[in-house]
Amino acid sequence: MDRKITPVSKIFLVIIFFILYAPIFFLIFYSFNSGGNMNNFEGFTFDWYKELFQDTRLLIIVLNTLVVALLAALFSTIIGVMGALGIHAARRRQTKNTLLSINNVLIVSPDVIIGASFLVLFTMAGIKLGFYSVLLSHIAFCVPIVVLMVLPKLSEMSPTLLDAARDLGASRLDVITKVVLPYITPGIFAGFFMALTFSLDDFAVTFFVTGNGFSTLSVEIYSLARRGISLNINALSTLLFLFTLILVVIYYFINQRQQKPVLGGRK
Amino acid sequence: MANAIIEFKSVTKQYDNDPPVLDDVSFEIERGKFYTLLGPSGCGKTTILRLIAGFTEASDGEIYFNNKITNHVPANKRQVNTVFQDYALFPHLNVFENVAFGLRIKKMKNAEIEQKVKEALSFVNLEGYENREIREMSGGQRQRVAIARAIVNEPEVILLDEPLSALDLKLRTEMQYELRELQRRLGITFIFVTHDQEEALAMSDEIFVINKGKIQQSGTPTDIYDEPINRFVADFIGESNIVTGKMVQDQLVEMVGKRFECVDGGFQSNEPVEIVIRPEDLEITTVERGKLQVKVDSQLFRGVHYEISSYDQDGNEWLVHSTKKAVVGEEIGLYFDPEAIHVMRFNETEEEFDKRLEAYTDGSGHGK
Repeated sequence: MDRKITPVSKIFLVIIFFILYAPIFFLIFYSFNSGGNMNNFEGFTFDWYKELFQDTRLLIIVLNTLVVALLAALFSTIIGVMGALGIHAARRRQTKNTLLSINNVLIVSPDVIIGASFLVLFTMAGIKLGFYSVLLSHIAFCVPIVVLMVLPKLSEMSPTLLDAARDLGASRLDVITKVVLPYITPGIFAGFFMALTFSLDDFAVTFFVTGNGFSTLSVEIYSLARRGISLNINALSTLLFLFTLILVVIYYFINQRQQKPVLGGRK
Repeated sequence: MANAIIEFKSVTKQYDNDPPVLDDVSFEIERGKFYTLLGPSGCGKTTILRLIAGFTEASDGEIYFNNKITNHVPANKRQVNTVFQDYALFPHLNVFENVAFGLRIKKMKNAEIEQKVKEALSFVNLEGYENREIREMSGGQRQRVAIARAIVNEPEVILLDEPLSALDLKLRTEMQYELRELQRRLGITFIFVTHDQEEALAMSDEIFVINKGKIQQSGTPTDIYDEPINRFVADFIGESNIVTGKMVQDQLVEMVGKRFECVDGGFQSNEPVEIVIRPEDLEITTVERGKLQVKVDSQLFRGVHYEISSYDQDGNEWLVHSTKKAVVGEEIGLYFDPEAIHVMRFNETEEEFDKRLEAYTDGSGHGK
């Protein structure tokens, strides 16, 4: 269908995006305000950023957040890929659907419930709340996401590819490492980056399972905001926003590379 | 047989309680020939291929490869390679690496791999395409890559699963010649699966016609075309006119209320039979000269010939292939030689059929 885009729909789209992005840009805008509040813009300054970078405690928290996110993304990718392979290999349709449903329930269930249940689990199991409890819970809620990103790639793969590999002498391990994994690599990367962003900006789960002396950025921003408005938060949020933007761009380019245009191969 | 490379002994394949896909199938494949498994879709021909390749296991019976039982040998340990219907080329590897895949698994030296891959690619006329990505190749080229990937491993048998079905007609005809030529040059056994009877007739040394999980008839293309064993084979291979009748005595058959001289024998007297006459064996003539009198019902121009559909007074349809035009609605006569008549017994097994054929053709020179 070749429907025309009417001016009304264009305006509608602009308004929607404006509403969605306005608070963020408002936040970013005032992070350069020398006035110290978000009521009126007095002058341009980098002071809040300078202050941010002198705050070693905050820098450590940033570092913590990154380490947790990277590790959680890494482990959940490994576990998630294995899980997706397992679900894909399930012979019976019912088994497959059951496994997939169990996986999906974890994605849609509220973070608060996941966080609370982890808190109960960790206390009962005697795991000290801190770095490891946060990492474990992050891995746990990232795995289903990875599974969901990898599975479509697996089902898109023609089963004759596996037959062909076996036919050419590949052992079961060869088939996985030389055919399946290269084929689903885009899905694995997508899963990794998804897990990374989910872990980076998670608040609810982390809030439950973090203990004394360990904090991540989102939890820290929350507690800063509760203490009172400081433009430090704006600066920090701005940096966080830029970082996510970079991730999105990287993800975009990975996707682009996968869909390189066909060069002259057509008949 | 000493020269048999693959042998099936009473092989059955059945999933759960469904009717068997393959039902007690036995056959031998000889070294260095071009075989075709021909049949309608769902007849079990691809299952035979998958059993040979080792992608699936027989429910019952034995499969021998080089006189060794091979039922439980995994696919990656078998001396066969397959060319798949969708080619199954690895999209993440380029042409060179696709062809080299099997050799790399064998941990061959790089220099050797390079030489063998080059050789295989030149065999299929794809020199200079080594660094192309698969998505940059056309359908016909992908087909050749798939063939190169199979032959580079120097298997004893190559299995081809409807490899030409995705190509357009012209390319398909071209590839038929090339495949046949390739098989001659390599001298290895090809087992080709298709549902296209023309393809089968054109390429094979031996054809197995399969239907409903059973081999209906096996033989050379001319054997199968000229002496089909039953209605299914006669109908599936080429166009045919099939009418019922009875064998008055050997060399004399009755159909459409008339008696005709023929060359078939080995029947009981007055045995009910089916009679096949190929449309190209029917000649249009005047009503007086014709052995059969029919009325022309419709006519199609097929390029090489006219396909004329006509009916006799009993309502049997007679297809005629003629280079001459007929007039629709006109009464015409059809003339045919006694050799054009082929008589088929009901429910005759291939073994009985062959025995009977041998007995009565002994020295009489039956066939065309």
